Amino acid sequence: MVMRNTTERWGALSQLLHWLIVVLIIVQVTLAEMADELPAGMKKLTLLARHKSFGITILGLALLRLAWRLRNPTPLLPGTLKPYERALARITHLMLYVLLFAMPLSGWMMSSARGFPVSWFGLFQLPDLVPKNKALYEALLTTHGTLAAVLAAVVALHAAGALKHHFIHKDDVLRRMLPFPSTTSGVKR
Amino acid sequence: MRRGRRASWTARWRVATATGIAASAWLCAFASGTAPVAHYVLDPAKGSLEFNFDQAGAQNKGKFTRFQVSFDFSPDSLAASRLEVTVEMNSANTGDQERDDTLRGADLFAVAKFPQAHFSASQFTRTAGGFEALGKLTLRGVTRDVRVPFTFRNATENGVAVGYMSGKTTLRRLDFGVGQGDWKATDQLGNDVGVSFALRLTAAAR
Repeated sequence: MVMRNTTERWGALSQLLHWLIVVLIIVQVTLAEMADELPAGMKKLTLLARHKSFGITILGLALLRLAWRLRNPTPLLPGTLKPYERALARITHLMLYVLLFAMPLSGWMMSSARGFPVSWFGLFQLPDLVPKNKALYEALLTTHGTLAAVLAAVVALHAAGALKHHFIHKDDVLRRMLPFPSTTSGVKR
Repeated sequence: MRRGRRASWTARWRVATATGIAASAWLCAFASGTAPVAHYVLDPAKGSLEFNFDQAGAQNKGKFTRFQVSFDFSPDSLAASRLEVTVEMNSANTGDQERDDTLRGADLFAVAKFPQAHFSASQFTRTAGGFEALGKLTLRGVTRDVRVPFTFRNATENGVAVGYMSGKTTLRRLDFGVGQGDWKATDQLGNDVGVSFALRLTAAAR
Protein backbone atom coordinates (compact mmCIF):
# COMPACT_ATOMS: atom_id res chain seq x y z
CA MET A 1 0.00 0.00 0.00
CA VAL A 2 1.40 3.36 -1.00
CA MET A 3 1.62 6.37 1.26
CA ARG A 4 0.57 8.93 -1.32
CA ASN A 5 -2.81 9.32 -3.02
CA THR A 6 -3.31 8.58 -6.69
CA THR A 7 -6.22 9.62 -8.88
CA GLU A 8 -7.52 6.05 -8.33
CA ARG A 9 -7.09 5.46 -4.62
CA TRP A 10 -6.50 7.15 -1.32
CA GLY A 11 -2.97 6.52 -0.02
CA ALA A 12 -2.15 5.07 3.40
CA LEU A 13 -1.78 8.39 5.20
CA SER A 14 -5.08 9.78 3.89
CA GLN A 15 -6.85 6.57 4.91
CA LEU A 16 -5.24 6.56 8.35
CA LEU A 17 -6.23 10.19 8.95
CA HIS A 18 -9.77 9.60 7.66
CA TRP A 19 -10.50 6.64 9.93
CA LEU A 20 -8.63 8.03 12.92
CA ILE A 21 -10.80 11.14 12.75
CA VAL A 22 -13.93 8.97 12.43
CA VAL A 23 -13.00 7.14 15.63
CA LEU A 24 -12.14 10.39 17.43
CA ILE A 25 -15.45 11.98 16.43
CA ILE A 26 -17.31 9.00 17.93
CA VAL A 27 -15.22 9.41 21.11
CA GLN A 28 -16.03 13.13 21.13
CA VAL A 29 -19.79 12.60 20.85
CA THR A 30 -19.65 9.98 23.60
CA LEU A 31 -17.63 12.19 25.98
CA ALA A 32 -19.88 15.20 25.32
CA GLU A 33 -23.05 13.19 25.94
CA MET A 34 -21.64 11.65 29.12
CA ALA A 35 -20.49 15.03 30.47
CA ASP A 36 -23.88 16.59 29.73
CA GLU A 37 -25.54 14.02 31.98
CA LEU A 38 -23.34 14.80 34.97
CA PRO A 39 -23.70 17.51 37.62
CA ALA A 40 -20.80 19.93 38.12
CA GLY A 41 -17.95 18.04 39.71
CA MET A 42 -14.68 16.23 39.26
CA LYS A 43 -16.08 13.59 36.89
CA LYS A 44 -17.61 16.16 34.59
CA LEU A 45 -14.41 18.23 34.54
CA THR A 46 -12.38 15.12 33.76
CA LEU A 47 -14.61 14.15 30.83
CA LEU A 48 -14.64 17.69 29.47
CA ALA A 49 -10.84 17.96 29.79
CA ARG A 50 -10.54 14.82 27.65
CA HIS A 51 -13.14 16.12 25.21
CA LYS A 52 -11.05 19.28 24.79
CA SER A 53 -7.81 17.32 24.39
CA PHE A 54 -9.32 15.05 21.72
CA GLY A 55 -10.83 18.09 20.03
CA ILE A 56 -7.43 19.75 19.78
CA THR A 57 -6.06 16.43 18.46
CA ILE A 58 -8.73 16.45 15.72
CA LEU A 59 -7.82 20.05 14.88
CA GLY A 60 -4.18 19.03 14.46
CA LEU A 61 -5.11 15.99 12.36
CA ALA A 62 -7.43 18.13 10.21
CA LEU A 63 -4.57 20.54 9.51
CA LEU A 64 -2.33 17.63 8.57
CA ARG A 65 -5.05 16.16 6.41
CA LEU A 66 -5.70 19.40 4.56
CA ALA A 67 -1.97 19.95 3.98
CA TRP A 68 -1.57 16.37 2.71
CA ARG A 69 -4.59 16.67 0.44
CA LEU A 70 -3.28 19.88 -1.12
CA ARG A 71 0.07 18.19 -1.87
CA ASN A 72 -1.39 14.99 -3.31
CA PRO A 73 -3.59 13.97 -6.20
CA THR A 74 -7.23 13.46 -5.23
CA PRO A 75 -9.01 10.30 -6.39
CA LEU A 76 -11.47 11.29 -9.12
CA LEU A 77 -15.22 10.98 -8.79
CA PRO A 78 -16.72 8.32 -11.04
CA GLY A 79 -17.60 9.68 -14.50
CA THR A 80 -21.04 8.13 -14.27
CA LEU A 81 -22.20 10.68 -11.69
CA LYS A 82 -24.93 13.11 -12.65
CA PRO A 83 -23.96 16.80 -12.28
CA TYR A 84 -26.16 17.22 -9.17
CA GLU A 85 -24.57 14.13 -7.55
CA ARG A 86 -21.15 15.52 -8.35
CA ALA A 87 -22.12 18.88 -6.80
CA LEU A 88 -23.60 17.17 -3.75
CA ALA A 89 -20.41 15.15 -3.20
CA ARG A 90 -18.26 18.26 -3.53
CA ILE A 91 -20.42 20.28 -1.11
CA THR A 92 -20.51 17.42 1.39
CA HIS A 93 -16.72 17.02 1.34
CA LEU A 94 -16.19 20.76 1.61
CA MET A 95 -18.54 20.96 4.58
CA LEU A 96 -16.79 18.07 6.30
CA TYR A 97 -13.46 19.85 5.99
CA VAL A 98 -14.95 23.13 7.22
CA LEU A 99 -16.57 21.37 10.17
CA LEU A 100 -13.35 19.54 11.09
CA PHE A 101 -11.93 22.99 11.79
CA ALA A 102 -15.07 24.77 12.99
CA MET A 103 -15.97 22.18 15.64
CA PRO A 104 -12.69 22.27 17.60
CA LEU A 105 -12.19 26.00 17.06
CA SER A 106 -15.68 26.86 18.34
CA GLY A 107 -15.09 24.55 21.31
CA TRP A 108 -11.72 26.12 22.06
CA MET A 109 -13.19 29.65 21.78
CA MET A 110 -16.08 28.58 24.00
CA SER A 111 -13.66 27.39 26.71
CA SER A 112 -11.71 30.64 26.50
CA ALA A 113 -14.89 32.73 26.70
CA ARG A 114 -15.98 30.85 29.80
CA GLY A 115 -12.60 31.21 31.50
CA PHE A 116 -11.71 27.50 31.43
CA PRO A 117 -8.43 27.42 29.50
CA VAL A 118 -7.69 24.43 27.28
CA SER A 119 -4.81 22.08 27.83
CA TRP A 120 -3.74 19.18 25.63
CA PHE A 121 -3.85 16.09 27.87
CA GLY A 122 -2.29 18.10 30.68
CA LEU A 123 0.97 18.39 28.74
CA PHE A 124 0.69 22.01 27.69
CA GLN A 125 -1.79 24.83 28.00
CA LEU A 126 -3.14 26.50 24.89
CA PRO A 127 -3.59 30.28 24.71
CA ASP A 128 -7.05 31.75 25.08
CA LEU A 129 -8.56 32.56 21.66
CA VAL A 130 -11.05 35.13 22.94
CA PRO A 131 -11.37 37.12 26.16
CA LYS A 132 -13.61 35.89 28.93
CA ASN A 133 -17.16 37.01 28.18
CA LYS A 134 -20.40 35.42 29.34
CA ALA A 135 -22.56 36.49 26.39
CA LEU A 136 -19.89 35.33 23.94
CA TYR A 137 -19.70 32.00 25.78
CA GLU A 138 -23.47 31.51 25.49
CA ALA A 139 -23.32 32.29 21.76
CA LEU A 140 -20.40 29.90 21.22
CA LEU A 141 -22.10 27.16 23.22
CA THR A 142 -25.08 27.40 20.87
CA THR A 143 -22.74 27.51 17.87
CA HIS A 144 -20.79 24.45 18.98
CA GLY A 145 -24.03 22.50 19.52
CA THR A 146 -25.53 23.61 16.21
CA LEU A 147 -22.35 22.72 14.33
CA ALA A 148 -22.40 19.29 15.98
CA ALA A 149 -25.94 18.75 14.67
CA VAL A 150 -24.89 19.92 11.19
CA LEU A 151 -21.87 17.60 11.35
CA ALA A 152 -24.11 14.66 12.26
CA ALA A 153 -26.33 15.42 9.25
CA VAL A 154 -23.39 15.84 6.83
CA VAL A 155 -21.69 12.67 8.12
CA ALA A 156 -24.96 10.77 7.58
CA LEU A 157 -25.17 12.12 4.02
CA HIS A 158 -21.49 11.28 3.42
CA ALA A 159 -21.90 7.71 4.74
CA ALA A 160 -25.16 7.23 2.78
CA GLY A 161 -23.36 8.40 -0.37
CA ALA A 162 -20.48 5.96 0.22
CA LEU A 163 -22.87 3.08 0.82
CA LYS A 164 -24.91 4.00 -2.27
CA HIS A 165 -21.71 3.86 -4.34
CA HIS A 166 -20.80 0.49 -2.85
CA PHE A 167 -24.14 -1.30 -2.93
CA ILE A 168 -26.09 0.41 -5.71
CA HIS A 169 -23.50 1.78 -8.15
CA LYS A 170 -21.21 -1.14 -7.19
CA ASP A 171 -18.12 1.02 -7.80
CA ASP A 172 -14.85 1.47 -5.85
CA VAL A 173 -15.63 4.76 -4.16
CA LEU A 174 -15.94 3.24 -0.67
CA ARG A 175 -13.27 0.58 -1.21
CA ARG A 176 -10.63 3.08 -2.23
CA MET A 177 -10.80 4.55 1.31
CA LEU A 178 -10.30 1.06 2.79
CA PRO A 179 -6.91 -0.57 3.32
CA PHE A 180 -7.69 -3.89 1.67
CA PRO A 181 -7.07 -4.17 -2.07
CA SER A 182 -9.64 -3.07 -4.63
CA THR A 183 -11.56 -5.63 -6.59
CA THR A 184 -10.77 -5.99 -10.24
CA SER A 185 -13.72 -3.83 -11.27
CA GLY A 186 -11.68 -0.62 -10.93
CA VAL A 187 -13.13 2.85 -10.80
CA LYS A 188 -15.88 3.52 -13.29
CA ARG A 189 -15.49 6.89 -14.92
CA MET B 1 22.86 77.75 102.07
CA ARG B 2 19.34 76.55 102.77
CA ARG B 3 18.14 77.99 99.56
CA GLY B 4 21.06 76.39 97.76
CA ARG B 5 20.26 73.00 99.18
CA ARG B 6 16.62 73.30 98.14
CA ALA B 7 17.61 74.33 94.66
CA SER B 8 19.99 71.42 94.52
CA TRP B 9 17.25 68.93 95.54
CA THR B 10 14.96 70.36 92.86
CA ALA B 11 17.66 70.04 90.28
CA ARG B 12 18.39 66.48 91.33
CA TRP B 13 14.72 65.64 91.23
CA ARG B 14 14.45 67.03 87.73
CA VAL B 15 17.50 65.12 86.55
CA ALA B 16 16.19 61.93 88.10
CA THR B 17 12.78 62.38 86.54
CA ALA B 18 14.25 63.10 83.14
CA THR B 19 16.57 60.12 83.42
CA GLY B 20 13.64 57.93 84.43
CA ILE B 21 11.54 59.03 81.50
CA ALA B 22 14.43 58.57 79.11
CA ALA B 23 15.17 55.15 80.53
CA SER B 24 11.52 54.13 80.36
CA ALA B 25 11.30 55.38 76.79
CA TRP B 26 14.45 53.53 75.92
CA LEU B 27 13.20 50.37 77.58
CA CYS B 28 9.86 50.63 75.82
CA ALA B 29 11.59 51.21 72.55
CA PHE B 30 13.88 48.28 73.18
CA ALA B 31 11.01 46.04 74.14
CA SER B 32 9.05 46.99 71.07
CA GLY B 33 11.98 46.76 68.71
CA THR B 34 13.57 50.18 68.75
CA ALA B 35 11.19 52.16 66.52
CA PRO B 36 7.52 53.00 66.43
CA VAL B 37 5.34 50.63 64.48
CA ALA B 38 2.67 52.03 62.18
CA HIS B 39 -0.77 50.50 62.13
CA TYR B 40 -2.12 49.89 58.64
CA VAL B 41 -5.44 48.71 57.33
CA LEU B 42 -6.45 47.70 53.84
CA ASP B 43 -7.61 50.23 51.29
CA PRO B 44 -10.42 48.00 50.02
CA ALA B 45 -10.52 49.74 46.65
CA LYS B 46 -6.89 48.92 45.96
CA GLY B 47 -6.25 45.47 47.24
CA SER B 48 -6.20 42.24 45.30
CA LEU B 49 -5.98 38.74 46.71
CA GLU B 50 -5.82 36.18 43.94
CA PHE B 51 -5.36 32.45 43.62
CA ASN B 52 -4.57 30.15 40.76
CA PHE B 53 -4.70 26.41 40.37
CA ASP B 54 -4.13 23.76 37.77
CA GLN B 55 -7.18 22.00 36.39
CA ALA B 56 -6.42 19.24 33.87
CA GLY B 57 -3.20 20.99 32.90
CA ALA B 58 -4.72 24.44 32.48
CA GLN B 59 -4.28 27.34 34.90
CA ASN B 60 -7.53 28.62 36.40
CA LYS B 61 -7.60 31.98 38.18
CA GLY B 62 -9.76 33.43 40.88
CA LYS B 63 -9.80 36.10 43.54
CA PHE B 64 -11.30 36.92 46.90
CA THR B 65 -13.25 40.12 46.79
CA ARG B 66 -13.81 40.51 50.55
CA PHE B 67 -10.99 40.35 53.08
CA GLN B 68 -9.61 42.47 55.90
CA VAL B 69 -6.02 43.30 56.68
CA SER B 70 -4.54 44.68 59.87
CA PHE B 71 -0.81 45.21 59.69
CA ASP B 72 1.38 46.67 62.43
CA PHE B 73 4.64 47.10 60.66
CA SER B 74 7.88 48.91 60.53
CA PRO B 75 10.86 47.58 58.59
CA ASP B 76 12.94 48.74 61.56
CA SER B 77 10.98 46.92 64.23
CA LEU B 78 10.11 43.56 62.86
CA ALA B 79 9.86 42.12 66.35
CA ALA B 80 6.90 44.37 67.09
CA SER B 81 5.24 43.76 63.73
CA ARG B 82 2.07 41.77 63.35
CA LEU B 83 -0.11 40.81 60.41
CA GLU B 84 -3.73 39.68 60.58
CA VAL B 85 -5.68 38.78 57.48
CA THR B 86 -9.25 37.53 57.43
CA VAL B 87 -10.72 36.27 54.19
CA GLU B 88 -14.41 35.81 53.53
CA MET B 89 -14.34 32.47 51.70
CA ASN B 90 -17.77 33.09 50.23
CA SER B 91 -16.27 35.93 48.19
CA ALA B 92 -14.23 33.51 46.06
CA ASN B 93 -14.75 34.54 42.47
CA THR B 94 -13.39 32.77 39.39
CA GLY B 95 -15.80 34.50 37.03
CA ASP B 96 -17.92 31.40 36.58
CA GLN B 97 -20.97 30.72 38.72
CA GLU B 98 -20.77 26.93 38.40
CA ARG B 99 -17.07 26.82 39.26
CA ASP B 100 -17.59 29.24 42.19
CA ASP B 101 -20.46 27.16 43.57
CA THR B 102 -18.29 24.06 43.28
CA LEU B 103 -15.45 25.80 45.15
CA ARG B 104 -17.79 26.94 47.92
CA GLY B 105 -19.28 23.49 48.27
CA ALA B 106 -18.77 21.06 51.15
CA ASP B 107 -15.94 19.11 49.44
CA LEU B 108 -13.78 22.17 48.79
CA PHE B 109 -14.02 25.44 50.77
CA ALA B 110 -17.11 24.34 52.72
CA VAL B 111 -18.04 27.98 53.31
CA ALA B 112 -21.21 27.11 55.21
CA LYS B 113 -19.11 25.49 57.93
CA PHE B 114 -15.90 27.52 57.55
CA PRO B 115 -16.92 30.98 56.36
CA GLN B 116 -13.54 32.59 57.01
CA ALA B 117 -9.88 31.86 56.53
CA HIS B 118 -7.44 33.57 58.85
CA PHE B 119 -3.74 34.29 58.65
CA SER B 120 -1.91 35.56 61.70
CA ALA B 121 1.80 36.29 61.67
CA SER B 122 4.10 37.82 64.26
CA GLN B 123 7.46 36.51 63.07
CA PHE B 124 9.07 38.60 60.39
CA THR B 125 12.48 38.33 58.83
CA ARG B 126 14.38 40.29 56.23
CA THR B 127 15.19 38.46 53.03
CA ALA B 128 17.19 39.32 49.94
CA GLY B 129 14.03 40.38 48.14
CA GLY B 130 12.21 42.03 51.04
CA PHE B 131 10.59 40.33 53.99
CA GLU B 132 9.06 37.07 54.99
CA ALA B 133 6.20 36.51 57.39
CA LEU B 134 5.94 33.22 59.20
CA GLY B 135 2.47 32.73 60.56
CA LYS B 136 -0.44 30.42 61.00
CA LEU B 137 -3.05 30.00 58.34
CA THR B 138 -6.40 28.59 59.34
CA LEU B 139 -8.30 27.39 56.31
CA ARG B 140 -11.28 25.06 56.33
CA GLY B 141 -10.72 24.56 60.07
CA VAL B 142 -7.11 23.37 59.69
CA THR B 143 -4.24 25.49 61.03
CA ARG B 144 -0.77 25.21 59.58
CA ASP B 145 2.43 27.24 59.46
CA VAL B 146 2.76 29.23 56.26
CA ARG B 147 5.62 31.38 55.04
CA VAL B 148 4.69 34.42 53.01
CA PRO B 149 7.47 36.36 51.29
CA PHE B 150 6.52 39.94 50.52
CA THR B 151 7.79 43.34 49.61
CA PHE B 152 6.80 46.50 51.44
CA ARG B 153 7.18 50.11 50.44
CA ASN B 154 5.83 53.03 52.40
CA ALA B 155 4.99 56.47 51.12
CA THR B 156 3.06 59.57 52.03
CA GLU B 157 0.16 60.40 49.78
CA ASN B 158 -1.87 63.58 50.40
CA GLY B 159 -0.45 63.73 53.92
CA VAL B 160 -1.48 60.16 54.70
CA ALA B 161 1.02 57.41 55.38
CA VAL B 162 0.43 54.48 53.07
CA GLY B 163 2.12 51.15 52.49
CA TYR B 164 2.28 49.00 49.40
CA MET B 165 2.58 45.33 50.13
CA SER B 166 2.74 42.52 47.62
CA GLY B 167 3.84 38.94 47.49
CA LYS B 168 2.93 35.42 46.69
CA THR B 169 3.16 31.98 48.13
CA THR B 170 2.08 28.47 47.29
CA LEU B 171 -0.22 26.38 49.44
CA ARG B 172 -1.00 22.71 49.15
CA ARG B 173 -4.77 22.54 49.25
CA LEU B 174 -4.87 19.00 50.67
CA ASP B 175 -2.85 20.15 53.72
CA PHE B 176 -6.00 22.05 54.68
CA GLY B 177 -8.50 19.42 53.57
CA VAL B 178 -9.57 21.51 50.58
CA GLY B 179 -10.59 18.52 48.51
CA GLN B 180 -12.76 15.76 49.91
CA GLY B 181 -14.25 12.83 48.04
CA ASP B 182 -13.39 12.94 44.33
CA TRP B 183 -11.41 16.13 44.89
CA LYS B 184 -8.75 14.32 46.93
CA ALA B 185 -7.25 13.23 43.64
CA THR B 186 -4.70 15.64 42.25
CA ASP B 187 -4.51 14.46 38.63
CA GLN B 188 -7.37 16.70 37.53
CA LEU B 189 -7.12 19.41 40.19
CA GLY B 190 -3.54 20.13 41.25
CA ASN B 191 -2.53 20.14 44.91
CA ASP B 192 -0.51 23.35 44.58
CA VAL B 193 -2.50 26.56 44.74
CA GLY B 194 -0.73 29.84 44.12
CA VAL B 195 -1.82 32.79 46.23
CA SER B 196 -0.74 36.30 45.35
CA PHE B 197 -1.63 39.70 46.72
CA ALA B 198 -1.01 43.35 45.97
CA LEU B 199 -2.35 45.66 48.65
CA ARG B 200 -2.50 49.36 49.31
CA LEU B 201 -2.59 49.94 53.04
CA THR B 202 -3.38 53.16 54.81
CA ALA B 203 -2.14 54.17 58.26
CA ALA B 204 -4.93 54.21 60.81
CA ALA B 205 -5.43 54.92 64.49
CA ARG B 206 -4.98 51.78 66.49
